[in-house]
Amino acid sequence: MSKKHTPPKLFLDFFRWFCHRDYLEDLEGDLMERFERRAKEKNVRKARRGFSKDVIQLFRPGIIKSLSGTQKLTTYDMLHHHALLTLRNFKRYKNSFLINLTGLSTGLACFFLISLYVHDELIIDKFHENDDQLYQVMNNLHQSAGITTGSQTPAPLGKALAEEIPEIKLSASVIPVGFNNDYGLVSAGDNYIKAAEQYVTKDYFKLFSYKILEGTSADIVSRKEGVAISEALAIKLFNTSNGLVGKDLKWAKEDFSGEFVITGIFETPPKNSTVQFDLVFNLELFLDQAPYLRKWWNSDPETYVRLENNADPVYVNSKIEKFLHTKVRNSASTLFLQRYSERYLNSRYENGQVAGGRSQYIRLLSVTAILILIIACINFINLSTAKASRRLKEIGIKKAIGASRRMMMFQFLSESFFMTLIALILALTMVVIALPHFNVITGKELIFQLDQWTVLTLSIATFFTALLSGIYPAFYLSGLNAISTLKGIFPVQLSKGHSRKGLVVFQFSISIMLILSVIVVYQQITYIQSKNLGYSRENVLYISNDGALNEQQESFRSRLKNIPGVVNTTSFYHDLVGDYGRTGGVSWKGKDPDVIMSFVNLEVGYDFVETLSIEMAEGRSYSHDFQDQKGKIMFNEAAIDVMGMEDPVGKKIILWGEEREIIGVVRDFHLESLYETIKPCFLQLVPKANKTLFKIQPETKTSTIRQVQTLYQEFNPDFPFEYKYLEDDYRDLYAPEKQTEVLSRYFCGIAIIISCLGLFGLVAFITEKRLKEIGIRKILGSGTTRIVYLLSSDFGKMVLIAIIIALPVSYLLTKNWLDSFAYRISLEWWFFAGSGLVAVLVAWGTVAVQTIKAANINPVECLKDE
Amino acid sequence: MSKHHLGEFEEIVMLTVAVLHDEAYGIAIIDEMEQRLNRKVSIGALQTVLRRLEKKGYLSSRFGEATKVRGGKRKRYFTLTSYGKKVLAEVKEQRIGLWNAIPKFVLGE
Repeated sequence: MSKKHTPPKLFLDFFRWFCHRDYLEDLEGDLMERFERRAKEKNVRKARRGFSKDVIQLFRPGIIKSLSGTQKLTTYDMLHHHALLTLRNFKRYKNSFLINLTGLSTGLACFFLISLYVHDELIIDKFHENDDQLYQVMNNLHQSAGITTGSQTPAPLGKALAEEIPEIKLSASVIPVGFNNDYGLVSAGDNYIKAAEQYVTKDYFKLFSYKILEGTSADIVSRKEGVAISEALAIKLFNTSNGLVGKDLKWAKEDFSGEFVITGIFETPPKNSTVQFDLVFNLELFLDQAPYLRKWWNSDPETYVRLENNADPVYVNSKIEKFLHTKVRNSASTLFLQRYSERYLNSRYENGQVAGGRSQYIRLLSVTAILILIIACINFINLSTAKASRRLKEIGIKKAIGASRRMMMFQFLSESFFMTLIALILALTMVVIALPHFNVITGKELIFQLDQWTVLTLSIATFFTALLSGIYPAFYLSGLNAISTLKGIFPVQLSKGHSRKGLVVFQFSISIMLILSVIVVYQQITYIQSKNLGYSRENVLYISNDGALNEQQESFRSRLKNIPGVVNTTSFYHDLVGDYGRTGGVSWKGKDPDVIMSFVNLEVGYDFVETLSIEMAEGRSYSHDFQDQKGKIMFNEAAIDVMGMEDPVGKKIILWGEEREIIGVVRDFHLESLYETIKPCFLQLVPKANKTLFKIQPETKTSTIRQVQTLYQEFNPDFPFEYKYLEDDYRDLYAPEKQTEVLSRYFCGIAIIISCLGLFGLVAFITEKRLKEIGIRKILGSGTTRIVYLLSSDFGKMVLIAIIIALPVSYLLTKNWLDSFAYRISLEWWFFAGSGLVAVLVAWGTVAVQTIKAANINPVECLKDE
Repeated sequence: MSKHHLGEFEEIVMLTVAVLHDEAYGIAIIDEMEQRLNRKVSIGALQTVLRRLEKKGYLSSRFGEATKVRGGKRKRYFTLTSYGKKVLAEVKEQRIGLWNAIPKFVLGE
């Protein structure tokens, strides 16, 4: 046959590969016959084409060989065999199957939940197109007391940076949402609704990727009388987001109130944006009201920059560090860049450097998730190596018949993969069921969907769990000697089980560490929440002085005071969780002129000290009975300390070039989170402030608030009445800590339960094996206590070793975390004793259930069979 | 309905196998069908039906002798089993019954 007369080899091979073995010969014959005939009658090319077509037409069920194969001992059959054995093993040892299933599935479920949470945290603020080049300029204030880091920068900074530093492409200065007050009121007709606003410079929308739906990024915020609004607000106000450019809207917030023209509509910021705003005004509008901010030596707006694509942030950092020194002589501030999308996770600073924040808690949770999985894997390892003695014959026979070590390993690994797959299905069900509750705890809106991230974590976690649980038993069991296993000789290392003990010790060390950290975190959170802050925040409410209230504060407050149930009222310009101004403009007799000392500036109204129950150390507080409007000042003790003043009351100081008399000193109270120490501060009486605070009697809360509302409506009939509790602000301050505490409590509980399950299975198995020994001992006169001791002393020792390992490690970890707080609990001895005791009790409880049952057995029962 | 249900294609294949008597192997069946019925038959469709009929017990098969053509591969000859013959006869009877039941005027004769 000439060479040309061959059918396409590719198709022939393909046919030979898929065709059912029984049909291969005659079908190939048929194909060849048709090919030869066509080659003769037509031509070879057509024949080859016909052949390929025939092969493809034959590729159908009925002709393709079945998956189980007709040839014996293929990979498929081995898998089939392993699956069968695995299922039989599950059936026979129901206890260990259930323990493994519970452990692995809960472990996987915890892991998936945490990974969803972590992913949601990681993508926050990452949606901006120029994320890699987007930075915020941070301000380090150097003082004798240390470095304070803040986001406030001079207003002209942004423009100057973009002009003078070539690596900086664009910049924006922003008065962020929540300045002075969380929101203002906006209206297109009569009714006002709440909305949050920002004041920005013209390039804002070129830096940040909030899509512009109407208008252009060049002129959307270029005019003082213009305003850009979000799509959501547009729909709330006008029921549409189209064709609104040029329409008017009314805006009411303190001095910025007025009518504005809509210049554009932007897409509502997505949920994963840290900044949520509805309106954007031109920064000039703000600066007109606060002209002092146009100077280089005052700081307030935030500055954002976008670097050139190839710019090295480290290099730019070094360039801008001393930038302010070129504008202000003797500036006490240095600047540095922080990646915009990293602010959310790392928002705490120590000594002018990033010192963590949420990222710490995310790390903690991730580690917990992995630890729980490892604990579950250890259960699987322990139970399957312990069970090995039951399978010695199986291993021996397989090896004698000729199974290679690799084949045996494959068998045991496939067992663990099988187990993990079943656990995976259960885990997914658990996640779906638990997710709504998890969302309530975390305050997130997570949904479980099979996107890239989920599929990736799912498959990686499942694969490694299966591998980790299976690899040790596989190595270990496949390495047993065929002859001795068949003879029934138990390998020495198997009966001693050192590695098993080691793993139990490891499991319990982890559990103890988790218990201890939960105790410490819980104590610290409770401490924070209940610490005497130096003022009383209970039952103190505040409302913002919008509209007519702004002008008529005094009359409003005097009428408010007359409402029964209102204990006291005051006004205030800040909140008590870290928003305040700062100034270096205080001087006094004996001050070293070279030292820059900055003071917190609190602008308050009458009765501030009384309403918040702040204690006086010396002197008196502001009072209507004296002429206090001008020339008076109050300090806190910390301020008096840094000034080194004795008998301060009656002495004079200079504030912003104006002489003031100290009338009183208050005891220190906390102005911000307990991560910070109490800073020197002064209280300055101002006639107008943006918030009215009032303390109420809790018994008549509802009726009092209703009366306050009626009064408020009298002043501002168009505005909605909104109030907030001071306490809630304070609670929000520690939201991430609180969340972590609650989550870690749950996950710690799960970890302990899984470890105990493993221990339970192990003890059950071991006592069952020693049942005959127990019977004989009892016949020879051993008492129940003696036998219980015999069985449990081993486990007692393991838990003790675990305690010895775990305590020092957890001491270091918890101490490290606590050190980040300026005010913290001390690590008490009973935290350690307590968590050790819990571990011992839980372990002994688990062991005791089994051993007492075994020790009480009637010896006849277990000895009669032989 | 009879318990032996035959599809149209199945029926034709069995009839062709019967026509060819001892010479019914894959290619021969296709040729015969294409020639007599004037329709295209794909090798895949035919072969699956043949195997199915064999599994049902309507057909049986045996290998022929190896020859030099066909790449030295043997042919597989199909024959009707007696069960298969019975089923065919039943089908035929049903058809005839139907034909007979048609009133004369319907077909216009």
